[in-house]
Amino acid sequence: MRKLVDFFRKDRRYGYLTGAVMTALNVWMWRSEPSRLSFLGSDSVLLYLLAAVCGVFAVMALIAGAVKLTHWRNYGETAMKKPAMLKVARYLYFLVLAAFLVTVTDRILLGFISLTEESVASESNPQGFLASMIYMFWKGRSMFALGVWTTVRIALLGTAIAFVLALLMVTLRILKPVRQDNDLVRFFKKVGGIFSRIYITVIRGTPMMVQALIIYYAGFGLLKNSSMTITEINYVWSAFMAGLITVSLNSTAYLAEVLRGGIESIDSGQMEAARSLGMTSWQAMRKVVFPQAVKNSIPAIGNEFIINIKDSSVLSVIACFDLMFGTTSVVGIYYRQLEVYCIAAITYLILTCFSSLLMKAIAKRMDTPAKDIPSSN
Amino acid sequence: MEPILKIEKLEKSFGSLKVLKGIDLEVYPGEVVCIIGASGSGKSTLLRCINLLEEADSGNVWFEGKDLMDLSTNLNKLRERIGMVFQSFNLFANKNALDNCTMAPMSVKHLSRQKAEELAVKHLTTVGLQDFIHADSRRLSGGQKQRVAIARALCMEPDMMLFDEPTSALDPEIVGEVLDVMKGLAGEGMTMVVVTHEMAFAKEVSDRVVFMDGGVILEQGSPAEVFGHPQEARTKEFLSRYLEEK
Repeated sequence: MRKLVDFFRKDRRYGYLTGAVMTALNVWMWRSEPSRLSFLGSDSVLLYLLAAVCGVFAVMALIAGAVKLTHWRNYGETAMKKPAMLKVARYLYFLVLAAFLVTVTDRILLGFISLTEESVASESNPQGFLASMIYMFWKGRSMFALGVWTTVRIALLGTAIAFVLALLMVTLRILKPVRQDNDLVRFFKKVGGIFSRIYITVIRGTPMMVQALIIYYAGFGLLKNSSMTITEINYVWSAFMAGLITVSLNSTAYLAEVLRGGIESIDSGQMEAARSLGMTSWQAMRKVVFPQAVKNSIPAIGNEFIINIKDSSVLSVIACFDLMFGTTSVVGIYYRQLEVYCIAAITYLILTCFSSLLMKAIAKRMDTPAKDIPSSN
Repeated sequence: MEPILKIEKLEKSFGSLKVLKGIDLEVYPGEVVCIIGASGSGKSTLLRCINLLEEADSGNVWFEGKDLMDLSTNLNKLRERIGMVFQSFNLFANKNALDNCTMAPMSVKHLSRQKAEELAVKHLTTVGLQDFIHADSRRLSGGQKQRVAIARALCMEPDMMLFDEPTSALDPEIVGEVLDVMKGLAGEGMTMVVVTHEMAFAKEVSDRVVFMDGGVILEQGSPAEVFGHPQEARTKEFLSRYLEEK
């Protein structure tokens, strides 16, 4: 934002060029149909005034261009570089900028507001792309709201539960049998290590959509063997519950690997120092290694949250009412696919950008540099 | 007098590389033993085998009469009484100087926070860091870090201290401040085993100098004997190279 302001205020090398672009955009916008709220209209005094300003600037820009072409090497010595001329050009440039801002307000901003008013009040689905998007967004607002609420809840709770489970999982993964262990402890450590390795491989090697379906129907099948009726089962084993469990179990595998990386990045000297003071390996882990590893992993945990916002969209296959399911429902009502999916895309984008900003702020507070969002898993 | 530490036929190899080839060493209470020798001669490994940060392949280590290699020995209990100072300081990066010192006494000896802090302040004052009690450990200079590490070890009130090249990672200018602290400790009668390249320190402070080469103890004796009249050709060679450098 600051850079943009500085560009218009200070950088005059491109003055004629940006002015010309703005003039062209002005003309293009003036030619468009004025909206109901428009104060410029298509032939008001103000409009002609703005047009005159742009016209004068255009003439001047043309002259400057012509002089530049004829005096390519000694443009600096021509009349165009006289201080008075430069002053006139600068003021004209600012006037064009003002005209541009006024036109944008009139045609784009007020245009959008009036389009929104019209679309919202419309009896039937309007034909225009944007109008139809606004109409369907307004009509389906309760579904979109419910969808966003569910998506955010699943992503937040899922990541939080996954973090706790991942701590357990990574503990299983890094416990190594030592000389002093008896056979039973040794056995459990081995089994734990193998279990976590298999778990991580299976979860990371299968799509979340398949996991969601398996978990949903497995839970359903288990409950069906009990004496519950279908209605009772649906009450207890809701799609939301199945979806939350899917996301939690899925993220556990990824976060366990993130935490393992975090733990392995801690210098082994930290552990040695703690052990040399007589702390047990569990105390050393809990008080020295884990706090540092978790802190280093915060950016990656934030990324996992953002990935969960996006990837929870596959939960719509088990009829979990997330944003994607809400979107599909709206599509089913109006049968206008492109417009509605664009609404979903914009909503997801707003959610992820907002979360990303939040994560950056948290990471900055915790003094751990944030990285960009990686690709989805 | 009974030795506080007794090492017998200690052997250790990393893969096919034999680092310790049968070490016998005794350290008596109040003694300051300096281990010198070229890099790769097994000095640090020997030190790390004493508190079992490395596990020796064979041989025995007795500390205060307890066999460290015996599986039924509670190693954590023994490590409480053997302080260790590392070449790379290894301060807990997420703690300040005070918390570095209080963590182990609180979690291992179950001291109250107040008692642990009193102890920590006392030992931080001993090492001359009374003004840096709440300093973030990452912001301290190398010499200050190493002094916090010494205070941290002292807070467990050990019977013996191991120093693993405590000044090797430091600027020549600030080596002195750490060595002064160690001299002070030696003066108070602390049993110390010091792996070092600081020959002047070894000469001045130690009661016994041990020269290691190729995984064995080649020669040991009082500083006057080892530095003044080295018996082995290898010791002479090593010492003369050091004197040339100075």
